[in-house]
Amino acid sequence: MESETDERMGALVYDRLVALDNYGKFQPQLATEWSHDAAFKRWQFMLRANVKFSDGTALSNGDVVAALQPLLPDGQQISASGNNVVIQSSAAMPDLLEELASGRFFVFRVQPDGTLMGTGPFFVTQSATASRGPSNSTNPAGDSNLATSSTNLNKMTHLRFRANEETWSGRPFVDAIDVTLGVPALRQLFDLQLGKAELVELSPELVRRATQDNQRVWSSAPVTFYGLRFDEAQAAAADANLREALSFSLDRQTMANVLLQKQAEPASALLPQWLSGYAFLFTMETNIERAKEIRATLPANLAAGNAPLRLRVDATGDLAKLLGERVAVNARQAGILVQVVNRAASHTTTTASDPAAGAHLFSWHYSSLSPRVELESMVSTFNMGNANEAAVSAIDPEQLYAREKKLLEDRHVLPLVALPEYVGLGQKVRDWMPARWGEWRLADVWLDLQEPNTAQPVNPNGAETPATSPAAASPGAKP
Amino acid sequence: MSFRTKLLFVVLLTIFASVSVVAYAVTHYTQAAFEAMDAERTEALVAQFKKEFVQRGEEIAHQAKNIAEANLTERMAIDLSRPNADQSLYVRDAVGTAQEHGLDYVEIVNYDGVLISSAQFPARVGYKNEWVTAVKDWNETPAFWKKEELPDGVSVSLSVVRTNNTVADKPLYIIGGHRLDKNFLASLVLPAGMRALIYTSLEPAFVATSLMGEKIDGEQAERFAPLVEQLQKQPQQMAQTIDWTRDPADAETFQAIPLLGRNKELLGIFFVGSSRKELVLLTRQILKIAGAVAAAALLVGLLVSFWVSARITKPVEELAEGAREVAGGRWDTRIDVRGRDEIGQLAKAFNHMTQTLAAQKERLVQTERVAAWRELARRLAHELRNPLFPMQITIENLQKARQLDAKQFLEVFNESTATLKAELANLNTIVGRFSDFSKMPAPQFVRVNVNEALRNAVRLFEPQFNEVGKPTITPELFLTEPLPDIDADPDLLHRAFQNLVLNALDAMPAGGTLTLRTSEQDGHVRIEVADTGKGLTPEECSRLFTPYYTTKLLGTGLGLAIVQSVVSDHHGTISVTSDEGRGTAFRIDLPQRQAGQNTKPRETVAESKSAPSTLAAASD
Repeated sequence: MESETDERMGALVYDRLVALDNYGKFQPQLATEWSHDAAFKRWQFMLRANVKFSDGTALSNGDVVAALQPLLPDGQQISASGNNVVIQSSAAMPDLLEELASGRFFVFRVQPDGTLMGTGPFFVTQSATASRGPSNSTNPAGDSNLATSSTNLNKMTHLRFRANEETWSGRPFVDAIDVTLGVPALRQLFDLQLGKAELVELSPELVRRATQDNQRVWSSAPVTFYGLRFDEAQAAAADANLREALSFSLDRQTMANVLLQKQAEPASALLPQWLSGYAFLFTMETNIERAKEIRATLPANLAAGNAPLRLRVDATGDLAKLLGERVAVNARQAGILVQVVNRAASHTTTTASDPAAGAHLFSWHYSSLSPRVELESMVSTFNMGNANEAAVSAIDPEQLYAREKKLLEDRHVLPLVALPEYVGLGQKVRDWMPARWGEWRLADVWLDLQEPNTAQPVNPNGAETPATSPAAASPGAKP
Repeated sequence: MSFRTKLLFVVLLTIFASVSVVAYAVTHYTQAAFEAMDAERTEALVAQFKKEFVQRGEEIAHQAKNIAEANLTERMAIDLSRPNADQSLYVRDAVGTAQEHGLDYVEIVNYDGVLISSAQFPARVGYKNEWVTAVKDWNETPAFWKKEELPDGVSVSLSVVRTNNTVADKPLYIIGGHRLDKNFLASLVLPAGMRALIYTSLEPAFVATSLMGEKIDGEQAERFAPLVEQLQKQPQQMAQTIDWTRDPADAETFQAIPLLGRNKELLGIFFVGSSRKELVLLTRQILKIAGAVAAAALLVGLLVSFWVSARITKPVEELAEGAREVAGGRWDTRIDVRGRDEIGQLAKAFNHMTQTLAAQKERLVQTERVAAWRELARRLAHELRNPLFPMQITIENLQKARQLDAKQFLEVFNESTATLKAELANLNTIVGRFSDFSKMPAPQFVRVNVNEALRNAVRLFEPQFNEVGKPTITPELFLTEPLPDIDADPDLLHRAFQNLVLNALDAMPAGGTLTLRTSEQDGHVRIEVADTGKGLTPEECSRLFTPYYTTKLLGTGLGLAIVQSVVSDHHGTISVTSDEGRGTAFRIDLPQRQAGQNTKPRETVAESKSAPSTLAAASD
């Protein structure tokens, strides 16, 4: 989950060229106007005038080019032209706006000391890393490279964001946001209940508890995908019949509705319905008897369970482990022996493959608003499907559907469940209007304090604010 | 081996045997008693553990009952009894419940057997546990061993099932349990020297890593394989001693208690190990003490037996010494008489015997002295009468010759004086012989070759062997060569050999064979001189060495007496054997060395040999 956290923190400090609102319309950000040619191969963005970085220096088209060029895919080139920037490619870029409105397509300037400076509503004033153990260590305060920082699970990183008075979008309501990363899930809930945090991430297993405790809980569209992928270099995973039998044995409904207490959706497709629009066309049938029949056709060593299928849980967290164990239980119902191997530490988008594991349980966070980009990114990251198949370059839903259908029919990857993102909100939080795909918009949030004259942060000792999400500040004036 | 040594040995042996038997008996029975005590102790501990299991089961049952009777459980039961109840609401309840009630395992099973929540294996939620619904009344069922399926394998638990019967006919089952693992072992109270191990593998083959317990490594675990395999075949309590090292003190006796499930299937094995160190050390201590006591008893026994044997054997030794003195000629030997026991009576009898012997000897000496004097007088009279009678006749002839003329008188006179001279010479010879016998000198010991001495003696008589007109006597010499030299006086020896040869010649007037034989025996040199004469009667043999006794008409009876005297002076022995009509044989044994004598070298012997003996051989 580090990438979405980075993006979430990045959205506090940096701006994109365009943004997508809750109604599906692109809104100007650093670019006020944009146009493209008929073939979608050349896009021109007119930059907003008088945009300043947090240090007061003006944004130039050179800054935009320097920031976005490394982030654009190969073949796309960005150049400056007057007050405009132009992105060109030999291939059509029909969904360029979706790309630029999501993910890490932030505009920033690299300072001489290596830190990044943005034009967003906040800027970082200090950061500190505290060990969870008895001996704490504190890093020197200063601006943090948010675009490249990652959460250290063994440490709690404390960040303080202050309102940027010079931002082009107007000063945010809150003066400052204290963010603590790496706080255990249950403690986050306790902090929320005790008023030590105004906004926390909620793990799915705690949502019901938070709801029962009358906490405000917001959920996004399903943004995290859990699935099984197979390493066909392993003999146990190379057999298509085994994969099919395993697929039939999986009870996704129980996973989503019982194990995950209805906090997840059974996944039949790689991309969610809200992103692709065609996910409802895919179904994943659970049929134990059919699974047993197929298993009976397996080679003797697989059928006898002499060579169990090793399933490594690449995704972190108890939820992934639980899903992995459930897969093993389901598979055993069909007579397929699956041995679950938990991984101590993992990265969501890791490509490292365990040569001893034939299957991997992975998670995928949808970070782009372009279904094509998401699908191709997932395929390339996990080396799914046939390498000779050409990537989909168009935004034609039929092509995307065909591409995804082929992947699912080959059962190189088996969808399990898709989880929304859950956020616990304090009682004082107002105007919480995040994007449906999980992008927080903290610049619009304000706090309903009992004494409006109080202009100090809720917790002056910000370093002690335990939350993985932004915490409160005093209300400010919306420009 | 002396009597005292024998007695000492017997007493010591008796004491040693007695002490050994006692020590063995003490050790054996002590060890058996300790073994029995150890077995009882282990049994008591096993019983204690079983009791603890029961107690643990009751604790688990208590907790499970608390869970089953909790308000939340009642609400859950009511909720789940409804059609289409949302079971997902309770998926995570077992985890918190297990933590709250201190249980390792908690599972909540719906009335239809569907697993609602599981603390140990949440992924199994939704599956049926039909074994739970198969029992109607769980609330009276005690704890039982149960195979637990876990995400990472299988374990064994002590489990209890209790029900919530809030909704009639739709009970909610609560399964609570404790995992049988190292923590479970650690919670057991173990006496010093004991330890508990648990084997929980359900595999048919022995899996060393499934043996849990403190201070147990893979190599040690493998030693349990035979016991485990035996229990897998026949699941009943049994014991086995494992020798970890060659030292018996490191051995442990393990009581293996099979952990059987509800269907009597073997789910695990509980090992109660009892160190034999204490027992072995105690046994060793007893052995040490027994050894020390035995050694002390032996030492005391040695001293006591020495004292006792000395006390018992001293009179016997005194008797033996007295007997030796009597044998040595001290007829007046007396020994102290102590007590009135058999030894005392024996000593008294000994003294009486020596007293009688002394008196008899005295009388015998006096008798022999008288007899000797008589014999001497007879011999003297006989010897002297022989010349005296001619002398008397001659003198009477001389007296008568005074009547004859001068010429005849002169003739008679000359003849008579010649006869008188001859008889006087004869008298002188007789007197000289007696004088020589009385003047037997003390031997002067030098190294002497006996064979050479014998040859010299025989050589003197060679002219007589083939004397013309007399029967031939054939000398045969069987002399052992080499024969060791002996300490002897060569002159006396030569004289003795001469007498023996001369005696043999006299014994064979009709001729015969003279046999001389030498040999070496046990530090002695044996000389045998045998003839083939007419032999002697036993009575003659018994008196043969008596001085002046002779069987010959013209013998003095001194020859063999001289031989015996020489042999005696050389600390030897002489004996005679004779077969009447076949001959007589004399056997002389002479020691090779004379104790306390400063023997001269052999060269001097040659000189003395060269000089002829001045003593004439006495012929009897």
